[in-house]
Amino acid sequence: MARQSKPTMSRALQRRENIAGYLFMLPSLIFFLGFVVIPMVICIFISLTDANMNSSGQFVGLSNFIRLWTDSAFLEALKNTFVIVIVSVPTVCAFSLWVSSAIYRMKGPVLSAFRCIFYLPVVTGSVAVTVVWAWIYNNYYGVLNYIIGPKGLGLIEGRINWLGDPKYALGCIILILFTTSVGQPIVLYVSALGNVDTTLIEAAQVDGATDFQVFWKVKWPQMMPTTLYILVITTINSFQCFALIQLLTKGGQGTNTVMYHIYWTAFKLTEQAGHFGYANAMGVVLAIFIGILSAIQFKLAKEK
Amino acid sequence: MKIQSGNSRAYRFVSIIILVILAFLFAFPLYWIITGAFKSGADINETTKVVWWPSQWVGDNFAALFKKRSAPLWELAVPFSNWFTQDGRLLYWSVGPAAPAAFRWLINAVFMAVAAMLLTCGTAAMAGYALAKKRFNGRAILFSLIVCAMALPKQVILIPLLKEMSSLKLYGSLWAVIFPTVGWPFGVFLMKQFSESIPGEILEAARIDGASELKTFSTVVMPMIKPGIGALAIFTFINCWNDYFMQLVMLDSNSVYTIPLGIATLQAETSTDTGLLMAGAALASVPIITVFLIFQKYFTQGIAMGAVKG
Amino acid sequence: MKMKKLVAAALAMAMALSLAACGGQNNSSQGSTTPPAASNPPAQSSNPAATGATEITLWTYPVGGWGEESNVQPIMDAFKADTGITVKVDYLAYGDGDDRVNTAIGANEAPDLIMEGPERLVTNWGAKGYLVDMSDLLTDTDRSEIAPAALTACTSTDGKLYEYPLCMTAHCMGINLDAFKAAGADQYLDLENHTWTTENFIKAVEALYAAKKDTVAAVFCKGQGGDQGTRALINNMYGGTFTNAEHTQYTWDDPNNIKALEQLKSMQGIVFDASLEGGDELKLMYQEILDMAFCWNIAQQLDPASAHGDPGKTIGGQEIVCMNFPSPDGTPVLQGGIWGLGIFNNGDPAKVEAAKEFVKWMCASENAAQGIKISNFFPARNTVNGTDLTAIFDGSDSGDIMKEYNRVILPNLGDYYQVTPGWAGARGEWWAMLQEVGNDQDITDSVAAHVAVANALIAG
Repeated sequence: MARQSKPTMSRALQRRENIAGYLFMLPSLIFFLGFVVIPMVICIFISLTDANMNSSGQFVGLSNFIRLWTDSAFLEALKNTFVIVIVSVPTVCAFSLWVSSAIYRMKGPVLSAFRCIFYLPVVTGSVAVTVVWAWIYNNYYGVLNYIIGPKGLGLIEGRINWLGDPKYALGCIILILFTTSVGQPIVLYVSALGNVDTTLIEAAQVDGATDFQVFWKVKWPQMMPTTLYILVITTINSFQCFALIQLLTKGGQGTNTVMYHIYWTAFKLTEQAGHFGYANAMGVVLAIFIGILSAIQFKLAKEK
Repeated sequence: MKIQSGNSRAYRFVSIIILVILAFLFAFPLYWIITGAFKSGADINETTKVVWWPSQWVGDNFAALFKKRSAPLWELAVPFSNWFTQDGRLLYWSVGPAAPAAFRWLINAVFMAVAAMLLTCGTAAMAGYALAKKRFNGRAILFSLIVCAMALPKQVILIPLLKEMSSLKLYGSLWAVIFPTVGWPFGVFLMKQFSESIPGEILEAARIDGASELKTFSTVVMPMIKPGIGALAIFTFINCWNDYFMQLVMLDSNSVYTIPLGIATLQAETSTDTGLLMAGAALASVPIITVFLIFQKYFTQGIAMGAVKG
Repeated sequence: MKMKKLVAAALAMAMALSLAACGGQNNSSQGSTTPPAASNPPAQSSNPAATGATEITLWTYPVGGWGEESNVQPIMDAFKADTGITVKVDYLAYGDGDDRVNTAIGANEAPDLIMEGPERLVTNWGAKGYLVDMSDLLTDTDRSEIAPAALTACTSTDGKLYEYPLCMTAHCMGINLDAFKAAGADQYLDLENHTWTTENFIKAVEALYAAKKDTVAAVFCKGQGGDQGTRALINNMYGGTFTNAEHTQYTWDDPNNIKALEQLKSMQGIVFDASLEGGDELKLMYQEILDMAFCWNIAQQLDPASAHGDPGKTIGGQEIVCMNFPSPDGTPVLQGGIWGLGIFNNGDPAKVEAAKEFVKWMCASENAAQGIKISNFFPARNTVNGTDLTAIFDGSDSGDIMKEYNRVILPNLGDYYQVTPGWAGARGEWWAMLQEVGNDQDITDSVAAHVAVANALIAG
């Protein structure tokens, strides 16, 4: 009897946990399944068809995916997407770490003034920031060309067509993305640095460690969780550069990204046969890459 | 205190100089928006030199912005009401006379971001608690699904989402932007990290006292994860406000535009009228910057809290 | 198990999607109880809205002054007073209007009415079956009054009228005459006929560049808007073509076009600028930064839009003069613009009826005068039911300028080739090609590659 009752008890307990767990999950699950998971599953289905704007299309197997690997526009977009992520994530982390270590010991009001200023581009809003940068970058009457041009510092002769030249356009977009990304990491690092165990630092200093050693051997390991969290949010942020591209270059001059190309294929290239299916195939490829990226990040997080 | 070497003092001095320069650079776009919004046409179109400070502060740009379009001051679609009405159309809750559309866009944007914020905080707090503390079947799978979906850009699911909103009759209403924002699982992830730190004994004690699950959640769990909810609220608000893409795809008329989208459409129409655009940008950014400056202590605390736990 | 459930859920959702009811725009509350004058409710419909639509939506591109609410709203108010039907107007930009309309079509929420030209209405949305054939609206009077070229362009190859034309123009160039005079370049202009030869155009650019040592004109290629200007420039310089006469093939790999591209690329003072679209170019012209604009037309001459200037003047008050595009012997072929209304078929017969009501009221009655006036373009028909439309600008400030355009620009109007299939995609290829030329890629290769893609789009 006793031996039998135990599993029943735990099964009842398990049922209780299941019911409570799923009831608590329910409101969130409705939104998550309804507006993320189900669309994703449908996206996979559509990517296997030649669906158009006005027809749901025929099943075409993997031919959309095969076509992607020969589509130079898509491959360029994929390359640019990775350039953006690979450049912006480490620079944002390194820059915000440097700024934070320079300001975290400052007096209260000074510290919060700096924190606020670096956070400003985030709260200004992406569209407002983009609109003003478009003016700053303008080839003919933008303030940037004026400052570094012959009438200003004299660093260049004539003008640089920041957004119209493939040498600079992607860099300009990454710069804006950068200014709108560092605010949060700086706030996070400042508080992480403030929370570092001071007894450890003092002990290290007594042992004659240099500032650099103190930082690398004592502070850095303690800030690992913060760094990983920053990596995650910065990566997410880097994939949200659609507004910059739509409002500044329309994907021209080497600034196309997969995110923009999906939109373009779906709603601009409407004359192309099977453009919905094709756009969804791009989405699936992007999702796979992002899935791999997330998996790597969380593997790192687990190993900490 | 350790005596600073001359080298390190020089480093500190240089770094402060660099910081100040950087601070100017970071503040410059906002400065340029605000001064630009009040510059006269002559200052804006000056091409031989840069007008750093308006030669004269004028309200022309705002006047032009408010004259540009009009829309009813308030009008909100009641989601899913089409299931209950006879003609299968959405019910509208509308108040107010026609007003400059820019006001309406501001109201829309605030409503959208606040609604998304409240819904996200409510659902994510419960879900995060369940994921952290309830040992239900399928928890691990669900959690990995959430982690994988976190970085997913909305462009990936653009077409299915559009079709879905269309069949739910939500396309063209703010709900079409709000619901996917709520579905974005970052909030659940954040709240799970927070809820991990709730001691199991407290929950056990509440259960032994005979508190129901819901009671435990509202009286024991909620107070403990409050800072986390604050962080999530800030995050969601800013995120939803800045989600230009969803707004672009889902909102289709003057009376449902949000202020960021409205400014973007003005840019597409008249990229030439810089003063007007700056007035719009100022209208879009100054309110949330003001809120941010007032609450900046809670902002930064909440955000920092999010990471220390996460 | 989990996977199966997910798939099942997805399938259920997919089915729900395919059943998605087609509805019109959101119908918000409106006070009017006046029934629409001439709607024909289908008897079998039990949908109360189908007994007479009282609200329809119109999306308009900025066709001249049609982008301004202060111009358009009075017309809609007058229509409401006449028929009791409210027209809710939303304004599109050339920059992102196509995507917005396509998104709305994708969501089954297209507007009831749309105002644009045949390249979108006939070739794109009409050909794909989203628009309603309006040939039943055409009376014999209408057929005889509407300019034949306009009517042809608005009719699909299978004889369906997808656009009811309202106004039209020919696109031309604008030049800053004062800057030309200052540089001594006005000697190259025939100001009587507003024409010049390619040779003189080149000399003029040289003279202007020598005088200011800075950009004279920009071949803008950010895309989206104003591409008619760059096309007309490149085609006219050495007599190239953009499509064949039957509108079945893109022919811009014509050696004459390549010669023009090479010439432009080699000229100091002309830049290929991928940071500009048509509207930006105009602003630079108003600001006196550029001395020429390729994206010019009568509407720009009359209404310098947001530039805070006077008609036909730069911000600094210098005189802007319209010119035909340069051609080898001074006989240009200009590109037209024909704008009018199209009706989306949203599956609600009442709304289609109300929309047709509006089209008749707007384009085929004396109300057309007002619609044309705000556009600042020329009427697509000289008379409407016998009422003369040619004199509607007389007596206003614009009257004289309109007459001048009518004399020197409009007669050079050429073939309306924008109705070639695959047009939207071909435009994209054109911009991409210009960008590549600007980035110093091999011109012949780039042109060949992009024409090939454009021609592939014709097949669909």
